[in-house]
Amino acid sequence: MEAERKSGLNRRSFLKAAAGVAAAGTGLPRPGRAIAAGEGRLATLIDLSLCDGCAERPVPACVAVCKEINKDKIPPIREPIPTPWPRKGVEDWSRRREVFDRLTPYNFIYVHRAEVEFEGRARTVFVPRRCMHCDNPACATICPFSANHKYENGAVVIDPDLCFGGAKCKAVCPWEIPQRQSGVGIYLHVLPNLAGNGVMYKCDLCQERLAAGKLPGCIEVCPRQAMLIGPRPRIFALGEERAKAMGGYIYGKKENGGTSSLYVSPVPIAALNGTMRREPGRPDMKAERRRMEETDRMGKAVLQAPLYGIAAGVFGAFLSLARRRDRRRGGEKDHE
Amino acid sequence: MSDRILPEKGLVVRHGIVEIGEHWAIAISGLILLVTGLFELPLANRYYITSLPGLGWSGDFIKALYIHYAASVVFIAASVFHLLYHGIRGERGMLPQWEDIRASILVIGSFFGKGEEPPFHKYLPEQRLAYVGMAVIIAMLILSGLVKTYKNLYAPDMPLALTIWATWIHNVFFVLFILALAAHIGALALKPNRPMFRGIFTGTVRLDYARRRHPLWIAELEGKDEGEARLEGPPGVEEGKGLPAETPEGGEAEGAGQTTAMEPAAAYDRGGAEKSGSQTADPHGGSGETQRR
Repeated sequence: MEAERKSGLNRRSFLKAAAGVAAAGTGLPRPGRAIAAGEGRLATLIDLSLCDGCAERPVPACVAVCKEINKDKIPPIREPIPTPWPRKGVEDWSRRREVFDRLTPYNFIYVHRAEVEFEGRARTVFVPRRCMHCDNPACATICPFSANHKYENGAVVIDPDLCFGGAKCKAVCPWEIPQRQSGVGIYLHVLPNLAGNGVMYKCDLCQERLAAGKLPGCIEVCPRQAMLIGPRPRIFALGEERAKAMGGYIYGKKENGGTSSLYVSPVPIAALNGTMRREPGRPDMKAERRRMEETDRMGKAVLQAPLYGIAAGVFGAFLSLARRRDRRRGGEKDHE
Repeated sequence: MSDRILPEKGLVVRHGIVEIGEHWAIAISGLILLVTGLFELPLANRYYITSLPGLGWSGDFIKALYIHYAASVVFIAASVFHLLYHGIRGERGMLPQWEDIRASILVIGSFFGKGEEPPFHKYLPEQRLAYVGMAVIIAMLILSGLVKTYKNLYAPDMPLALTIWATWIHNVFFVLFILALAAHIGALALKPNRPMFRGIFTGTVRLDYARRRHPLWIAELEGKDEGEARLEGPPGVEEGKGLPAETPEGGEAEGAGQTTAMEPAAAYDRGGAEKSGSQTADPHGGSGETQRR
C-alpha cells in the first residue's frame, strides 16, 4: 500500500480514470458496447503477495461478485439444445452455474491455490485467473464475425449478439479462456445444426461498470486490494516497483506478445506454473509466446502486395508498349 | 493484345501468355483463399476435414491464416497488375457497354432456345458484365482484406465500426465470390460456350468457331492483320491476301446455320480469302510468326 500511496495511485484515482473512459466513450456507433472505448489504455495489477484467496469465505469475494454481476448475462437456454452436425457435442453449463473453481460461461474468474516451496519454505499463493486482455489478442483479431473486439481502453470484449460460438477464440488463446454455452445466441436463428454452437463468454473487464464510472467488480470488492486498475503506464510502473520491492516476479507483461494484466508474484512464476495442470477452464502460467507472430511477416507482404502489382503492371505495360513501338518502327523500315 | 489469326493452324489467338498467367494466378490463389477462408469460419474440425489425409493443418487457424496471407499476396499483386497493365495498354475490350445489358438478356435467352444469338465481338456481352461483377467482388475482398490484415498486424484496437465493416464486407463478398465463381465455371456447362474453354489453357480457339460466333472480333483482327501486314509483312503477301477464295469459309458458315451470322460471315469472305491466301503463300504464315513476337 505504501508504494501505491507513493505513486499517487489510490482507489479514488482509479475510479476517476475509469469515469474518464466512460465519458470519452459516448457517441460511438454502438452505444452500450463501444462505451468501453475511450482515451487512454487501462491495465490491471494482480498482486499475489496480497491475495489470500479469501480463506474465510466459502467463495472468494472477487469470484462471488463476478458471478452476481454477470448472473443474467446468458439468456435462457433453448431446450433441447440443437445437436450440431456432423461433429456432435454441445457444452451446457446452465445446470452447473454454481461452479466457481474453474472458468465456465457462468464463471469468468476463479482463484487457483498454489502450494509451492520457495527459498526452503512452503508457501501458499493464491492466483486469481481470468482473461488477460492481451495487447494483440488473436482471439479478437481472428474472429470471423468481429464478435470479439479489443477496445481502445485495452479491454477485449465478446459481443454475445454477434458470436456464433465456433470457439476459434478459445482455440487461439494460449490460456483457452473463453468458454462456450450452447443453446443461446444468433446461431439458433441461422442454421443451428450446421453452423455455430452457442456463444463464447469471458471477462469483459466490467465494461458496463466502467462506463458507469465504477470499478470492475472483482477489483472493487477485493478485501485486500490485491487487484488494481488504472492508466496503463502507471499500472506498469507500479507493477515494476512492487516486484522490485518484494524481490518478486512479473507475469503478463510479455506473454502472448504483452497483455494488460500484470501479475506481481513473490515466488517465481515457474513455481506457480508447476502447481497448475492445464485442463479445460484452468489455464496454466507458461511463458506463452504470441503464435500469430508466425504470420506477421507474410501479413506485411500482403500489405505490400498492391505495390508489387503496381510495379509489375507499370513496368510490364511500358515494356510491351516499347516493344510494340519498336516492332512498328522496324516494320516501317522494312517497308521502306 | 496478342490476338491474331493463325490461318495455317485454323486457330485464333484469344489470350496472350500474360492474360493466361494473370487468369491462373488469380484463379489458383483465389481458390486457395476460398478454401482457407472456409477453414477460418471455422469449419474444418466440425466437418472432419482435419481427418482427411494431408489436411490435418486445416483446423489450425494460424496455419490456415498463413496460407491465406500467402495466397493473398499473389491474388492482390495479380489483380493490381491486371488493372494497370491493361489499363495502360488501353485494352478495354472487357469493359461493358450500355447495350450489353439488353444484349445479355438476348444471349442468355438464346442459350435456352429463345431466338438467335447476335454476332459477338471477342467477348460476349454477359462476359463483359460478369467481368465487372467479378472485378467489383475482388476489389471489395481485397480492400476489406487489407483492412483486416492491417488490424491483425498493427491495430487490433481499431474502431469497432471499421472492424465490423471490413469483416462483413469480406464475408458478404466472399459468398458473392463463391456464387460468381460457380457461375463462371457453370457457363462452360452451356454448349455454345464450350469452344472457348480451350482458350484459357492454350490461348487459342478454333478459327471456324470464332468466325461463326465472334465475327466482329475476327473482322477487327483481319482489319488489323491487313494494316499490320502492310507494315510488317514481307512484300508479296498483300498480293496473296488479294487472292480470291478457293475454299472460303462458306462450309463453316453453313454449319453455323445462323441468319445472324450471315452478314458477318459474308464480310469474312475476305477472311476466307486470306486463309486460302496464306495457305498458298507461305510468307504470310511467316508474318504471323513475326507478329507473335
